[in-house]
This record gives sequence, C-alpha cells and structure tokens, in this order.
Amino acid sequence: MTLVPLPAFIAVSATLFFIGVAGVLVRRNAVVILMSVELMLNATNLAFVAFSRRLAVAGERGSVFVVFVFVVAAAEVAVGLAIILAAYRNRPTVDVDQLDEMKG
Amino acid sequence: MDVLGPILFAFLTLMIVGGGLGVVLAGRITTSALLMAFTFLNMAGMFVLLGSETIAAFQVLIYVGAITVLILYGVMFTPQTPRAYGLFFQKQTPWGALVAALAALPVIVVAFSFHDAASLPAPGGDLNALATAVFTSFAFPFEVASVLLLSAMVGAIVLVKREPASRPPAAPPDPERPV
Repeated sequence: MTLVPLPAFIAVSATLFFIGVAGVLVRRNAVVILMSVELMLNATNLAFVAFSRRLAVAGERGSVFVVFVFVVAAAEVAVGLAIILAAYRNRPTVDVDQLDEMKG
Repeated sequence: MDVLGPILFAFLTLMIVGGGLGVVLAGRITTSALLMAFTFLNMAGMFVLLGSETIAAFQVLIYVGAITVLILYGVMFTPQTPRAYGLFFQKQTPWGALVAALAALPVIVVAFSFHDAASLPAPGGDLNALATAVFTSFAFPFEVASVLLLSAMVGAIVLVKREPASRPPAAPPDPERPV
C-alpha cells in the first residue's frame, strides 16, 4: 500500500491554518473569529498527528500534545463565548469593530 | 489497495480546504458553524488515514460534538445581521497579504524539509501507547489540564452570571456613553 508522504499532510495543515488566519483577519463577527481560531487549532492537530505517526523521533508525544490541544480548545471556546455574551450584554453588538471602548 | 490511500487523501483534502474556505466566506453564521463541523469531521477521517483512531474518536466527540454545539449556542444568543462589508479590498488588505506571505514562506520551506522515517510503526492500535504516555511521562500536565478545565468552567459561569435582583441598583447610565 502506497503511503501518502508526510509533507502532503503538512501542506494540508498549513493551508487550513492560513485559511483560519485569513478568517480572523477579515471577519468582524466575534463568533466567526472564534470559529476561525478553532480551524487554526485543528490544523495544528493534523501536523502533530502526522509528525507523531511518521517521524520516528516524535514517538507518541505528538498524539499526547493533541489531547492537550483538545483540552485547551474546549476551555478557550467556553471562555471565549462567555466573553462574547458578556460584551453583548453591555453593548448589543458582536461586531469587533464596534467594541472600541478601550481604543485610545 | 494501492490507490485507496491517495484517493482518500485527495478527497479529504478537498473537503477540508473547501469547508475551511466556506467557514470564512459564508454569509450566514449558521452556515459557517455547520461547515466548521463538516471540516472537523473530515479532519477525523484524516486522522484515521494516519492510523490514529483514538485521536479521531476524540476529534468527533470533542470538536464535532461539544465545540460545534457551543458555537451554535453562541450563534443562537447573538443577533445575526447580514455581512455589510466586502471580505476583500478592505484598507488593511495590502498589509494583511504582506504579513501572511512573510509568515507563509518559512512555513513552506520548513514543511517540505521533513521526510517519512525509514521504518514506520504499524498503522492502527494507538490507544495503548497513548494511554501509557499520558499516565506516565505526562501525568503532571494531565493533572494541570484538569485544573485548567475546572477554572475555565467556573470562569465561564461567573462571566455570564446575571446580577442578582436584590442588589441595590447600579449607578445611572452615563449619558455620554454611546448606545
């Protein structure tokens, strides 16, 4: 069985990561920005798993890191949504361009 | 069997990149959220292709299950107005493109400098090795992760808790403050 080479997985991971970066940069809805951050986290997961399975030096450590990335992603989305809802309660908008009270 | 792996890889790549682009480009937020779940599901297929079934199962449970539902709650609780701006050719676009290109170049160079190890572990059955690593070498980070989850849960509850009604009323709203 022919194996898909490791750089192909890394290329997919990098592509998805930069799609997420573009989403964070161009979208202004806070919820969509949160989704783009999740895309970036998941792209790094793919790189971790690919290195873990295909590089002998990595061993199982890549997979363990992925488990911790899952934990951090879950905590991040919970707290991020709480912050968005708290900000929405103060000012009825989720447009990050209009949440500019700390702007100098 | 020889061609099945590359064909699956090409299919999953198309779905992942298309789904990711859809998340960023979609006009409706609900569409974005469901396309995000679709992308995560295809990513789980990618993990299976790499031989990490346990991580794929976690991916489906946590990302497709929990995180998508949380995001959908966020969509439900916030007003969804149609996007009133073009995605491209904003005033930051040239700077954004420059920074993205500068960041992408070293990533491309480094990504293609890796090669597969000569002898690969047999695909599948990664649960034993993963569990052994988590509960021996990584036992302390595992405990710290549980504290992180607990503090995130408490923090989320405190952040969205409403003020009790019995409290004295707050100061009158500042007339200067824009609504």
